[in-house]
Amino acid sequence: MSVVTDSPAHSSGSDDFISYLNDALDASSPDSSADEEAETQDEFEDVRNKRRKLESTEETEGSTSEGIMEHKLVVAESSVKVDVCTHPGSFGEMCIRCGQKLDGESGVTFGYIHKGLRLHDEEISRLRNTDMKKYLFSKKLYLVLDLDHTLLNTTILGHLSSEELHLLNETDSLEDVSKGSLFKLEHMHMMTKLRPFVRTFLKEASEMFEMYIYTMGDRPYALEMAKLLDPQGEYFNSKVISRDDGTQRHQKGLDIVLGQESAVLILDDTEHAWMKHKNNLILMERYHFFASSCRQFGFNCKSLAETKSDENETDGALAKILEMLKEVHCTFFDKLQGDLVDRDVRQVLSSVRGKILSGCVIIFSRINHGALPTLKRIAEQMGATCLMELDPTVTHVVATDAGTEKSRWAVKEKKFLVHPRWIEAANYFWQKQPEENFVVKKTTNPL
Amino acid sequence: MFFHIVLERNMQLHPRYFGRNLRDNLVSKLMKDVEGTCSGRHGFVVAVTGIENIGKGIIRDGTGFVTFPVKYQCVVFRPFKGEILEAVVTMVNKMGFFAEAGPVQIFVSNHLIPDDMEFQTGDMPNYTTSDGSVKIQKDSEVRLKIIGTRVDATEIFCIGTIKDDFLGVINDPATV
Ligand SMILES: [Mg+2]
Ligand SMILES: [Zn+2]
Repeated sequence: MSVVTDSPAHSSGSDDFISYLNDALDASSPDSSADEEAETQDEFEDVRNKRRKLESTEETEGSTSEGIMEHKLVVAESSVKVDVCTHPGSFGEMCIRCGQKLDGESGVTFGYIHKGLRLHDEEISRLRNTDMKKYLFSKKLYLVLDLDHTLLNTTILGHLSSEELHLLNETDSLEDVSKGSLFKLEHMHMMTKLRPFVRTFLKEASEMFEMYIYTMGDRPYALEMAKLLDPQGEYFNSKVISRDDGTQRHQKGLDIVLGQESAVLILDDTEHAWMKHKNNLILMERYHFFASSCRQFGFNCKSLAETKSDENETDGALAKILEMLKEVHCTFFDKLQGDLVDRDVRQVLSSVRGKILSGCVIIFSRINHGALPTLKRIAEQMGATCLMELDPTVTHVVATDAGTEKSRWAVKEKKFLVHPRWIEAANYFWQKQPEENFVVKKTTNPL
Repeated sequence: MFFHIVLERNMQLHPRYFGRNLRDNLVSKLMKDVEGTCSGRHGFVVAVTGIENIGKGIIRDGTGFVTFPVKYQCVVFRPFKGEILEAVVTMVNKMGFFAEAGPVQIFVSNHLIPDDMEFQTGDMPNYTTSDGSVKIQKDSEVRLKIIGTRVDATEIFCIGTIKDDFLGVINDPATV
């Protein structure tokens, strides 16, 4: 702090100092004098007298007179009520453009960028617009990534099952995390497993997208995970959003993402977190590496860790999604016509999705009423036609029981008879799945 | 700006600290209590430099604690509107950059960065002039002017500008 060398000139004693302070403070926070420090009360009286003296005498010392002049200027300005600044945002409750103290807490908080930072809607859209032009020019869109079950799986150490305890000896070094995928975070009492392929995924996706992390975890957790995924800080600089930053409880929103909604894709395993942005969402198949995670979602099967297995590196969910992202990116920039700014990645996403089951004519047979509407909706989004009545054009009968009338019809007419998981899998993998992997078995007690 | 001023504080001391080291005990407790703290009135207390006077202790009924009024000299740091400061850049993003001068957090928004400097993304985000001669990135040292301050109980926030003559980068870590 080089200013220290100048200080002797100014250190004229505490009395003058306190009068500057009061000048500065009077113009601002009236509450800041409510200070628990044990300074004596009569100092105030003293100060007021001193200030009067100070203002009447001609001060030659640069900073002092400047301080007072500015103070007067502020008063003058506010009495005339001329305000040219639109106050685009605030930092520490001061305008980021004119420095004026602002009342109240207006605007959207951007705590994930810096504590105390808030921006107003116009400023957000200004930033989005300038950003958008730049990114579109360099052929980049935005990608918002969830953490848990999407890019990784985390468990509390105490929740490791007895068959998972072997993991404790298999964790990777925290010295150079870029080479590992299983980490014990002692101070957080957690163990984290990165999803296979995640490093390649991030590297390749970063060439097509400006990436954000957006998690329902708290900020310390989010930052810790960002360190594991991005040890060099190449991808997520100032773009890690946690639940502490959201504007709505239990919801994620693009309002705090500085990208135009028409250029943002979201990768998340939890659909209902994005109620307002379903068209931007790519739903991920959940990654459950640990038993505690399986149990949390009601699965009674063995965890990947318990069976000492894992998702396939080159053929797993993230690899499939990367392929799809490449297709969307290429369609957006190279195949669409018209001005880049007018293009909408949501439309591209839905057209890519619409090709997955195009040509399939589906009829459902005795599917649980609760599950039917969702299945039907996702099948139609993938381009399938869903019928209510049997018809020779039907290509697939979807059932959980091979004994139903429609199932038997399918077998007789040599149509595909598939389990509803066939639709779900196509939805997760963005690809029609081989029907023979989704055979329907006969239930033992026919209805 | 730094100031050398006299402040007063009522120090409560537990009886176990009495005895011939009383004064030393008081002073070390004072340093522990006030150095590094912030007050809205005086700014950030950098260091206690001396004791002016220790008043008579008053015994608190019932506890045995004694309260001593202590007058002490200290160096405080408080930024002012209009002041020129040198600060180290801590974070750069499309909204502008954040910098620190000791305990002070300063934000320079892109409204207050010269128009010829443009934001560049990448693993080392920065603001650069079109000819590439001037670059502001993390760890750069900048000279800036304070246009707004707010001193809280624990933190000092400032709004700064580099859109003025003789402001901007004073050393660039990339070229060192
Ligand atoms: Mg999740
Ligand atoms: Zn303003």
